[in-house]
Amino acid sequence: MGDERPLPIGARGAVILAIVAAGAAAVPWLGLTPGSLVPSDGGLTLVGEFLVRAASPALTSEADPVPEGTPPLLWRALAAARTTVVFAAAAMSLALVLGLVLGFASSSAWWADDLRGRGRLRRVVAPVLTWSSRTLMVLMRSVHELLWAVLFLAALGRSPTTAVIAIAIPYGGTLAKVFSEMIDEAPRDAAHALRSSGASPAAVFVFGLLPRALPDMIAYSLYRFECALRSAAILGFFGFPTLGYYLKLSFENLHYGEVWTYLYTLFALIVVVDWWSGALRRRFLA
Amino acid sequence: MSQPPTGSRFVLEGVVVRHDGGGGAPINALDGVALAIEPGEAVALVGPSGSGKTTLLSLLNGSTRPSAGRILVDGSDLTELSPRQLRLVRASIGTVHQDLALVPNLRVSQNVLSGRLGRLGFLASVRTMLWPSAEDLRSAHALLERVGIPEKLFERTDRLSGGERQRVAIARALHQQPAALLADEPVSSVDPARARDAVGLLRELSRERGLTLVVSLHNLDLARSFFPRLIGLRGGRVAFDAPPAEVDEAAFEALYELADG
Repeated sequence: MGDERPLPIGARGAVILAIVAAGAAAVPWLGLTPGSLVPSDGGLTLVGEFLVRAASPALTSEADPVPEGTPPLLWRALAAARTTVVFAAAAMSLALVLGLVLGFASSSAWWADDLRGRGRLRRVVAPVLTWSSRTLMVLMRSVHELLWAVLFLAALGRSPTTAVIAIAIPYGGTLAKVFSEMIDEAPRDAAHALRSSGASPAAVFVFGLLPRALPDMIAYSLYRFECALRSAAILGFFGFPTLGYYLKLSFENLHYGEVWTYLYTLFALIVVVDWWSGALRRRFLA
Repeated sequence: MSQPPTGSRFVLEGVVVRHDGGGGAPINALDGVALAIEPGEAVALVGPSGSGKTTLLSLLNGSTRPSAGRILVDGSDLTELSPRQLRLVRASIGTVHQDLALVPNLRVSQNVLSGRLGRLGFLASVRTMLWPSAEDLRSAHALLERVGIPEKLFERTDRLSGGERQRVAIARALHQQPAALLADEPVSSVDPARARDAVGLLRELSRERGLTLVVSLHNLDLARSFFPRLIGLRGGRVAFDAPPAEVDEAAFEALYELADG
């Protein structure tokens, strides 16, 4: 080994070089020219009008005339925000169940010899369950929630269930992957101690191992809830009554003031959730 | 609290524990160990690190399986028990691990109560860990009182000092209602001034409860002043097994010298 001449660049250097080369190759391939950054005159005016309204979001409906029976704009924004939260919460609840079940089944610790002892049946069951759950997790999260939504819209129509499942599937897959890694990386000393005191494999896992991973799992779930809010809002583009639905409607009607009202509502929602999850983390995990 | 009248009896017959060495050649952590520890006896395992003390303790509580030989706890051979029977034996042996092995982000009460999980079904375990009964808490509190930190009952475990955590680990082992108490280098997790207290406490507790006590110790002075029987280990073999009066400095130093050679 000592006699080998080192390559001019190491393995890491080669990877970085390949990434840079791929980036450079993409420019001619996709026809990325500085010229395409210059907007057309009409585009420029539109962007200008839109940006100007950032300072003056609409407080009342900009439709003229306002259709009869339309609720006040701010009320509509708040109701849409509430719907967004409800969709995100329902999706996350389902995703958590999927994530916990698949995350446990695919974690190596759940099957580890040092936590369970040897079992003949497990020699067969463990690899089958681990790999089938890992494959399922990959399938779930390799498809974006918008694509799942397209699929379920075709199958189930535009019901709230469609949106909730569309978000829950990829989120469940991601939670499962991250949960299983957190569980596998958790220190096992307390789990070994419980095992040496005669605790059953399930008790060892739940009370010796899981508490070590739980703070990270909770923090990550709170972050994913925030992501679920954005996903739920975007799914409104498909007609679910979340913020995205009204956002799209107002944008298409060139009611830019309303667009900003809804954008600020989404922004406020994220800030509130961020503050709330921070408070939870400080309270329970500090 | 009901205590078993006498402690466990341990018998080791020709025990070998072989580890796969990193380089390929297997290493014998224990090499033909035979000994008997009687109920209620107090024994110190002495010897340098790597001499097999920790391995021996993990054999006694059923965590490690011997590559050869037999381990009998109160007459039953651990290598022949079903997983369920093995768990029952483990539940009767409390261990204070060298790194204490507590769950840092649980309350002290939960760590103490987790000592009983070996005797409970899963639902009862969930109940005692999440919604402990008044009786559970009373008994955890009584144990903490006995080890000198009753006021820490509801504290988060990682807020405690090293010495306090060690007492939690001892209370957890006692909550098992064990017949034997094992402790691996109980001196390493406390500052030197407290070392004597820690070993003294283990000795007192096992005496008042009639528990068999096996403690591994680096420090010969401590072993000598607290234990009527010393077992010296060197390279996985028993070098001496005698009362302290018969073990002189020279015999003890020989453990270390030969281990280096």
